[in-house]
Amino acid sequence: MNCKDCSEKLDRFVDRELNSTEVLELQLHLESCPDCQDHYEFEAHMKRLVKHSCDCDTPPAFREKLRQLLS
Amino acid sequence: MAESPARTAFAEEALTHLDTLYRGALRLTRDPDQAQDLVQEAYLRALRYQHSYQQGTNMKAWLFAIMRNLFWDRFKGSRKEDVSLDDVGEFVLYEKLRDEGARPEADVLDKLAASEVVKAVETLPPLHREVVLLVDVEGFSYKDAATALGVPIGTVMSRLHRARQQLQKSLYDYAVESGIVRGNGRPQVQQ
Ligand SMILES: [Zn+2]
Repeated sequence: MNCKDCSEKLDRFVDRELNSTEVLELQLHLESCPDCQDHYEFEAHMKRLVKHSCDCDTPPAFREKLRQLLS
Repeated sequence: MAESPARTAFAEEALTHLDTLYRGALRLTRDPDQAQDLVQEAYLRALRYQHSYQQGTNMKAWLFAIMRNLFWDRFKGSRKEDVSLDDVGEFVLYEKLRDEGARPEADVLDKLAASEVVKAVETLPPLHREVVLLVDVEGFSYKDAATALGVPIGTVMSRLHRARQQLQKSLYDYAVESGIVRGNGRPQVQQ
């Protein structure tokens, strides 16, 4: 695998959508390529940042209202 | 209203996915009151069409589909923003920052406020926003996201890819505006 293949598969790697053979190939490349490794960590960090930033719970009063409405 | 035990059990199970629906509705409508209206309507509709839910399939994806379809019905009527993205071209924030001498994670990602990230997500066109919400925020697989959105997996992947590039572009622009990086991508701190 070269850097271009790696970068094309990075989305799917970060999203855990690669099959086990592809994961092994990609991990092997990452071990030997610090730049792709950094890029991977950056994309994974980005995904966590989006998740963490957009996280919020349902307001309790609304949850209760809905529960009453549906029961 | 006397309710059957089956209906009650169904409602109970459906309510375990409330946070996912509420978060999705909040980011799609960008307004807490509208989000609550949308979620309430989605749940009422889900109960009405309970028979069309196939046991053993992904209920969260099914509920999300109902909610986002309601959103799109309303959205089409009052459309004031672009549905899709202009092509920003390949924009890879990591490469841009690295090529310009910044440390992408330490100099930039660690300095972005959550509110700015939310703003960047909320300014994505809804067609792209919903893919980010499902895959990044809710952790859906591509397959489940495809089911919820009623599109092929390939469409999920291409929308997600473009959405991430646009998101990174927005965050880069913000980082420049707010002085986190200079216009050329260099960090503010002297080396
Ligand atoms: Zn590489």
